[in-house]
Amino acid sequence: MKKTFVCCPNCDEICSIPHPIRPGRYKCPNCQHLIFRYWPDMVVRLYATNLAALILFVIANYFHLLSFAVVGNRADATLTTAIRYLYQEGDYLLAVAVLMTILVVPLLQILLNLSLFGPLYHGHLPRYAPHALKLLEAFGPWGMLDVFLVGILVSIVKLVKMGTIVPDASFWAFAALIPIMAYGQSVFDPRPIWEEIEEAQKAGRISCPSERIA
Amino acid sequence: MRAVDKGLGCCSVCGQMVAFPPPQAGHVAAYCPRCGSEVFPRKRNSLSTTLALVLASILFYIPANLLPMMHVETFAGTESDTIMSGVIYFMETGSYLIGFVIFVASIFVPVVKMLILLYLVATVHFGWHKHRHERLKLYHLTELVGRWSMVDVYVVSIMIALVHFGGLSSIHAGTGAVFFLLVVVVTMVAAMSFDPRLIWDGASPSTSSKEPHA
Repeated sequence: MKKTFVCCPNCDEICSIPHPIRPGRYKCPNCQHLIFRYWPDMVVRLYATNLAALILFVIANYFHLLSFAVVGNRADATLTTAIRYLYQEGDYLLAVAVLMTILVVPLLQILLNLSLFGPLYHGHLPRYAPHALKLLEAFGPWGMLDVFLVGILVSIVKLVKMGTIVPDASFWAFAALIPIMAYGQSVFDPRPIWEEIEEAQKAGRISCPSERIA
Repeated sequence: MRAVDKGLGCCSVCGQMVAFPPPQAGHVAAYCPRCGSEVFPRKRNSLSTTLALVLASILFYIPANLLPMMHVETFAGTESDTIMSGVIYFMETGSYLIGFVIFVASIFVPVVKMLILLYLVATVHFGWHKHRHERLKLYHLTELVGRWSMVDVYVVSIMIALVHFGGLSSIHAGTGAVFFLLVVVVTMVAAMSFDPRLIWDGASPSTSSKEPHA
């Protein structure tokens, strides 16, 4: 059986994994940390979850999130209302941080995943796959929709004593979006795709996206 | 067997194993043949970067707690809320769970994160060999919980979006929120710049006995 060698990113131990990769979870023999996991139906699962996520994300941004009423006054908030008010009042740093973490990064993550796993599902490795994977890696923990959901819940509890607060359509879309995205994250592992890229590079179908040729 | 002892390392982006140039070559970086990224044996200036960022976050943490997170304007006057006064408000009004969540996410987690990172930097700097597995777990803990401190920033922005009734009653972001955002972002970057492989570096009795002679 052929093997490839990888180093554990947590302790630098050299670990061997079967090549081509077989399904399962692989742990570092030294530090016991998960090096990678691979499920053969990863592509279809990620395609499905990200399609669902995109639909829910559009719904979550189109409708109202919460509506709040105090004696005769009523306010509806969409996801972007908060960003707009922060920007209008000159809190640019806060506005940019909220915009990036709940809108730009999650949307780009969903779109990049779709642009990657859509073609892969149909048996085609896109030429931009290395760039897409690099971008996804760079986004890392900066998409914070799950944290935002907890923020919404805390705000509801905070405001419930001041007036009437009603969660709207967007809230429920959000509540459904979070577990779907979390599931997608838990299935995702870039290593099998990198191996496919390597095969394609050997066949001359994809070039190495070098920053500099050493 | 550790990769660094063999002059090998893995690309932090795609996991490809690469050979580093020999010590006399004058430069330490290698280039990943698969994704084109620059690969270094360890994250560059890991300890000093992490230490500098942790110290910066400690400085930001002081105004984040002393200055108000938000100003609540009503016809009766303006009220300013700091993080702690928010927690106390929840505890007094009986919302123990929410008070607890806010306390953990906004006060407890940032402090614990800073302390853990300081401890990790110190132990690596002084070359401690003990408790390596435990220290790696602590590191993963800081990576895992870091983003959840953003909850308070989101709560402030949602409150601003919902309570916006002009002179009758409105909420504005305070300077404390900006500093708090900086604490969260800076500690997240600090955790990212720490290289967990450093914990395992340096000769230790257990690894040297496993590896007789190169």
